Amino acid sequence: MIEAGRSDALPGVRMPSRRRFDAATVVVHIAVAGLALLCLFPLLLVVASSFTDEIALARNGYSIIPSKFSVEAYLAIFNKPAVILRAYAVTTGITFVGTILGVSMIALLAYPLSRRDFILRTPISFMVFFTMLFNGGLVPYYILMTQYLNVQNTIFALLLPHLVGAYYVLILRTYFSGLPDELFEAARVDGAGEWTIFWQIAVPLARPALATIALFIALNYWNDWTTALYFIRSPDLYPLQYLLYIIQSNAQAMALQEQVGQIGTQKLPTETARMAMAVLATGPASVLFLFFQKYLVRGVTLGAFK
Amino acid sequence: MARLGRRSLLRTATQVGVGVLAGVQSLGTHAIAQASSRTPASSPVLTYIYAGSSDQKALPDVEKALSGLAMERISASVKLVTFDWGTFDQKISLANAAGEKHDLYYTAPWINNYYTNIRQEYLLKLEKLLADLAPILWGSMTPDTWDAARVGGSIYGAINQQIFVKPFGPYIRADVAKDAGVEDAFRALTSYDDIGPIMAEVKKYIDSKQGGFQYVTVAANINATETFGYDVVDSGLVVKSTDMAGKVGLYSDTLEYSRAALTIRQWNELGYTPSEPKTSSEQQDAWKAGLSTMMMSGVVKPGGDAEIKGRWGHEVISVAIAEPLLTTAGSTATMTGVNSLSANPEAAVKFLELLNSDVRFYNTLCKGIEGVHWEWDDKASLLIRPAGGKASYADTGYNPNTDWQFGNVFNSYYTARSQVGAWPATADLNRNARPSPLLGFTFDGKSVDTERAACAAVAKEFGEPLTFGIVDPMTQIPALNKALQAAGIDRIRAEMQKQIDAWMAAKKR
Repeated sequence: MIEAGRSDALPGVRMPSRRRFDAATVVVHIAVAGLALLCLFPLLLVVASSFTDEIALARNGYSIIPSKFSVEAYLAIFNKPAVILRAYAVTTGITFVGTILGVSMIALLAYPLSRRDFILRTPISFMVFFTMLFNGGLVPYYILMTQYLNVQNTIFALLLPHLVGAYYVLILRTYFSGLPDELFEAARVDGAGEWTIFWQIAVPLARPALATIALFIALNYWNDWTTALYFIRSPDLYPLQYLLYIIQSNAQAMALQEQVGQIGTQKLPTETARMAMAVLATGPASVLFLFFQKYLVRGVTLGAFK
Repeated sequence: MARLGRRSLLRTATQVGVGVLAGVQSLGTHAIAQASSRTPASSPVLTYIYAGSSDQKALPDVEKALSGLAMERISASVKLVTFDWGTFDQKISLANAAGEKHDLYYTAPWINNYYTNIRQEYLLKLEKLLADLAPILWGSMTPDTWDAARVGGSIYGAINQQIFVKPFGPYIRADVAKDAGVEDAFRALTSYDDIGPIMAEVKKYIDSKQGGFQYVTVAANINATETFGYDVVDSGLVVKSTDMAGKVGLYSDTLEYSRAALTIRQWNELGYTPSEPKTSSEQQDAWKAGLSTMMMSGVVKPGGDAEIKGRWGHEVISVAIAEPLLTTAGSTATMTGVNSLSANPEAAVKFLELLNSDVRFYNTLCKGIEGVHWEWDDKASLLIRPAGGKASYADTGYNPNTDWQFGNVFNSYYTARSQVGAWPATADLNRNARPSPLLGFTFDGKSVDTERAACAAVAKEFGEPLTFGIVDPMTQIPALNKALQAAGIDRIRAEMQKQIDAWMAAKKR
């Protein structure tokens, strides 16, 4: 989708007044539309399956138009809505809080690193960069979280890992250092302190970059299930994606149980219910993406013009 | 020694590295963590980790009840930790790798791998402790059975007694068998050779129904090794149950495998099976939706028909075809191990004894609290029902439904009338089964790991289409065997034969 936005925008830059549909443009448009459809197809299939009658699905297989329309799967999920609602609350909570906290922290770290008059600029930049090259690996990470920070099975275990991404710090630092120095000097001459310069000048100018990074962080939080896999044991703290993962992977574990002669120890949600769960879990993320898309396109092209 | 070194070295290294990074803040929390992990020696808290559905609302109540019972008998209390089935492997291996101090956990060759856990020294050697502190559990199984859990001369897991044998056989829906007039013929089956005509009748019946059913059977997997009396050791390498010399052969090279593959192919061509392979979840959906009439190969066990009915809602008839064979893999299919870092190994083993000998204790873990989660339906035949007129156990807030994961299932109360009597019958099945010549042997495949991975990939690529009958066995079986050869099956076979010969020689002495 990023690609689509880009190739659309570029001809627009060159001829702002009037679109001419020459052969090349038509071909490009068809190709891009085809690609977009290809990306959309699996998603549509999931949505269609979730609205298909369970027996009809087993009998006829998947199709883009439900062979027999049914909302049973959604009714089954919302019959006992506590589980999914709680998961929604957890996910939206950590996404909201994590994004705001994360963007603030990244901005507060990136801005000083962009300032040439900051003495520790090089060593701290290196430390940030170093974490992108080397990390301790899974087990030390687990030990840090559970035995030193002691955040296992708390909401902090879900919040902390995605708070500050080194990559985002570097992007934002580059963006900040692209702002003209004269601006800050003028502000200083007018009597602005460091905080005022940061809040009144740097942050408003960096809004597209901040929005892009906020989107990335939000998607990280929204889609994250591994953190919960490692650190969360209480069902009350399961985020949405982890709940989905458990439902899918439980089905595979059941197949294993059968091999050792144990039949059906758990009632599994039906195929259609699993599809409905997937729709409920991914739906809001796609809306969020559409909402932020204009910032994203601008943010992505930012680096290119520099 | 080297392995022990590696584990502690890793932990020391991470502690140092992490300590620097986490800085001053970590000092305080670490001290707290250490203090809280140390419990007074007088009444230890045993942490027991197992797989299940984490959505058991009444788990804290059951934990309290169990702790009360355990405090009386072994002066310890119990902390129950459930990891969801699909995440059990990852969660438990992380906890073990990080050196957490939980006491007991579920382990098996097929999930939370027993042999890997032994290799990583995550499991405590138990044979002395079991003999001293758990005499009833130790005496409840034959030395032969215990040998199945032995690796390098030591036992690292307490075997949960349950069905050890896998008498495979076909299932048919009772209504279909009756309507198609094949019930008597089906009940008289003794081998898969005679099942063809029954399937033909069923096919005719299905066609006459027009649209009700879709397949005679959704999967025709009659090629399970046990069906033909082979004990599969690893990588599709087998030893015949009657071969006391223990000569290793390749299963896909046997006459039985070829014949089964040809039969499956024929069924596929006759339209008895789906035209393309179905995943295991698709197969289950097909059964639930009533599209399939027969299941060609399932474990036929006492009470098994009732389990199927509970699961898919269809009354079924089943017939065991395979001769029950007692194998290492079957005996060790479910075990409970003690963490090598447990602070209270003696108490943990006493807990195992309690779990496997005290019927009330065991059933509290399996079924919940009497009067709260279940009540007697017919006490004389040990039959229970959901408490308070609830429709199902799931409604009571506690229904782990994995008795076989916790201990000796023969101590478990029956939950359905049709199950009554299943446990003595299963125990008989275990006792009368023919012991495999390799019972107690475990293959250590470490030196041929590369070849094993390559062979597993080949077996998946060629084996699945053969099992579904969608390719011609006449060309594909030779292709499979040739690919296995190229993947290094002969090196695995040579290594396996060497280990088996050494094991047999040691046993004779």
